[in-house]
Amino acid sequence: MFTRRRFMGYSALGSSMLAYPPLVRSAFGQGAQSPVRLAVLGSTYSLGSDLQTIADRFLVGFPFEGEWYKPNVQVVSLYVDERIRRASAAPNEFQLAITGKTRLRAQPQTPPQKQPPPGPSGGRHAADERWEPMAPSSEDNGLSGDLSAARAQQFGFRLCRNIPEALRCGGDHIAVDAVLVIVEQCREFPYPLNDKAQVLLPRYDFFHQCVQVFETEKHSVPYFNHKQLSFGFNEAQEMLRTAERLNFPLMSGSSMPVTWRLPDVDVPFGAKVEEAVMVGVGGLDDMNFDALEAMQAMLERRKGGETGVKAVQMLQGDDVWTAMQEGRWSKDLLISALSRSDTPLGLTLLDGRNQELVSSGALPQLVKDPAAYCLEYVDGTKATLLMLNGAIRDYNIAARIAGGETVSTQFFMPVAPNQGYSACLAGKIDAMYQKRTAQTPVKRALLTSGVLEACLNSRHRLNQRIETAHLAIHYAAPVESQYQRI
Amino acid sequence: MAPDAQLSKKPRLAAVVTSYKKYLHPQHVVDRLLDGYGWDGTYHRPQMEVASLYVDQRGDGDLFQERADRHPEMKICPTIEEALTLGSSKLAVDGVVVVAEHGVYPLSENGIMMRPHYEFFEKITNVYRSSGRAVPYFNDKELSWRWDWSKKMVDVSHELGFPFQSGSSLAVTWRIPSVEFPLGATVKEAVSVGYGGMTSYDFHGLETIQCMVERRKGGESGVEWIQTYTKEAFWNAYQNGVWSQALVQAALSRSSTLRPADPTFTNIFPTIEQMKAIVPDPVAYQYKHRDGLLSTMILMNGMVRDFTFAANIDGHSKPFSTQMYLPMPDGRTTLASFFSPLVNNAEQMFLTGKATYPIERNLLTSGLLIEGVESYKQGKRLETPNLAAVRYQPNPKSTFWRT
Repeated sequence: MFTRRRFMGYSALGSSMLAYPPLVRSAFGQGAQSPVRLAVLGSTYSLGSDLQTIADRFLVGFPFEGEWYKPNVQVVSLYVDERIRRASAAPNEFQLAITGKTRLRAQPQTPPQKQPPPGPSGGRHAADERWEPMAPSSEDNGLSGDLSAARAQQFGFRLCRNIPEALRCGGDHIAVDAVLVIVEQCREFPYPLNDKAQVLLPRYDFFHQCVQVFETEKHSVPYFNHKQLSFGFNEAQEMLRTAERLNFPLMSGSSMPVTWRLPDVDVPFGAKVEEAVMVGVGGLDDMNFDALEAMQAMLERRKGGETGVKAVQMLQGDDVWTAMQEGRWSKDLLISALSRSDTPLGLTLLDGRNQELVSSGALPQLVKDPAAYCLEYVDGTKATLLMLNGAIRDYNIAARIAGGETVSTQFFMPVAPNQGYSACLAGKIDAMYQKRTAQTPVKRALLTSGVLEACLNSRHRLNQRIETAHLAIHYAAPVESQYQRI
Repeated sequence: MAPDAQLSKKPRLAAVVTSYKKYLHPQHVVDRLLDGYGWDGTYHRPQMEVASLYVDQRGDGDLFQERADRHPEMKICPTIEEALTLGSSKLAVDGVVVVAEHGVYPLSENGIMMRPHYEFFEKITNVYRSSGRAVPYFNDKELSWRWDWSKKMVDVSHELGFPFQSGSSLAVTWRIPSVEFPLGATVKEAVSVGYGGMTSYDFHGLETIQCMVERRKGGESGVEWIQTYTKEAFWNAYQNGVWSQALVQAALSRSSTLRPADPTFTNIFPTIEQMKAIVPDPVAYQYKHRDGLLSTMILMNGMVRDFTFAANIDGHSKPFSTQMYLPMPDGRTTLASFFSPLVNNAEQMFLTGKATYPIERNLLTSGLLIEGVESYKQGKRLETPNLAAVRYQPNPKSTFWRT
């Protein structure tokens, strides 16, 4: 049974939507195509989460190519995993009743609604609603900072209890034209880690549930998955195969490969790349995928295209400094990558000075727990990602082209709250929805997901070098650079 | 007097600064000459030597002694004359670096800090005159807080014939996207949107506009009048389209630091009503160039923390826009890397004996700041005959950071 609120959410012409001009424009654009109906599926809609920063861009627009761009997309449904997991873990109505404990009335959503949209209900529940056993919904309790109910009300979309419901908008058939999936770690109700330090994010599970609906209905829609495909390579591979079999566009990845670069440079298409060194910061399953993917986005342009990775090794601690002394990666490339950083720490924090961190010997003093992700490509290209927590705070790369030229740049990651890098990604996602074609190679995400898993396996096996025959992944990069330039 | 052409050996520089503490302009500029900086994909060490340093104001947090200890070739001098002559009777350096931003000086009656750019200039050029030799001169930010002094500085540089380069890093830093104003384009209106307040960051906003529009058809033609808008007059002017709302929107769409007016969002475009709530002290200097171009320098402190530019260029279907990116060490970075292209342009001048951009740009922006503050004080539009006479051609080559 629909509550009035759910009905208003379901109705494409909900009064709250009429009150919001950008959506009205996109819904009734001058002779424009009807908007792409989007289902948003994610794990947490808290302020600053990836889901909030990216999904909001499809609600309120985003800065893109010199304007405040309003994508021709209409969010029609939202599923937030944390709400449901939290609600399922809590005692249900029956359990509460038999123990004599009554559930507290729903507290107002945080943050409180400032201006309820005008409408028959004035943004409040209709009077008859409060007697319904399921209303207000039990998921609305307990999560501080969850914005999903407030967004659903403001923008008039359906807040759903499961993924099939989100795809069908409560009806019997798929009622969306595209899917946005952003699964990330939740603060209040976290997903567990495995012994390899991987967060067991259910990206594959989300995909699988969508695919079940696609298969049942013999109708598939474009699918964007944020960051890696899955923590497990086999599942990631299955996701690609399934998308191919059902013939729907699948795009996956993070913002770093598509954000602005300082300077605006790329590996020349078809150039022979000898070696690349990337520097960044992050944890064992946090930002290292983004950094590896950004590096891959540059290297895939090399001569012969991508032919895969034959072995990886992850080094940690003093082994990193020993390997650096032994020339495991080019010191010149490391200096070059660090020359692009705007965030050297140590003495720069102390008195503002510029530093060349490599020759000065400052790195080992600043970085307590360094990590090196060493990649050997099938074609002989060598690449290293150095995670230098304590020495810098940004992401920079240097690659040596055969003949001696070095290409180096910083992947520009504008700070919170705006996090402008995800506007660059939103532009790509929107382009995929409108054109029904993936805008970046999904095999890049597959290879990078596999590389990251293999590196964590290397770490788990006491930093052994691991051969990765399964990562002989071939693909051709787009000739035109895919990062933000205009 | 001809500029010194003998630059076969490493040029020796005298640095003349107001105060040398962490994250003050003198530290950013002189440190780069001493310790080097990341440039063009490597760690660059300038092929010149800072031979002397004069510091006008000393106190807690001074860093110059630590720098001198690590760079013994740099002599701390008690006077500007000594810094230039290195204790001899004549000019003994090949270039002068003046950084007179920061430090604490009294305010003028219009509220502009009376920083000693001109006083330093006079002492330096006195040594030039008495030595019968003039060397390239780099001056950070504006020329002087007084128009007649600013004008005189430029006149003397022409009289003595030395390369004189001055201005803000906004003109030379990264642009996002990395675009240049098309040389010879026709432009009807330009805006910059920045932050800070009158008599400080207004200069950066003015330089943001000028480094772009000076490349328009005919070059810079001079400025006829200026009018300053603040408080309610600003919002009325904004709402009435005294400057283009579309250009402000285009500029703000280049910002990386747009404060969400609704705190439950992270990146949302504000309505004018919301802007009013988060920008208590908006400032606009609007000025008309002689060839008809209308420029508006806007400061919306509280809403953004960066500088953006937008202009209507003939033949472009939508506004031409970019961000002049300042990697600001206010929590976003630790190094104010926008000083790197400023110092690099100065190095080029010291090595080639030629300024990389015209000093008249800086004369105009220094004058616009002075007149903008005066217009605020008088509360009306001011005719600017002084600025109408500042006409110049740009360097056709781009000098901003893009490698």
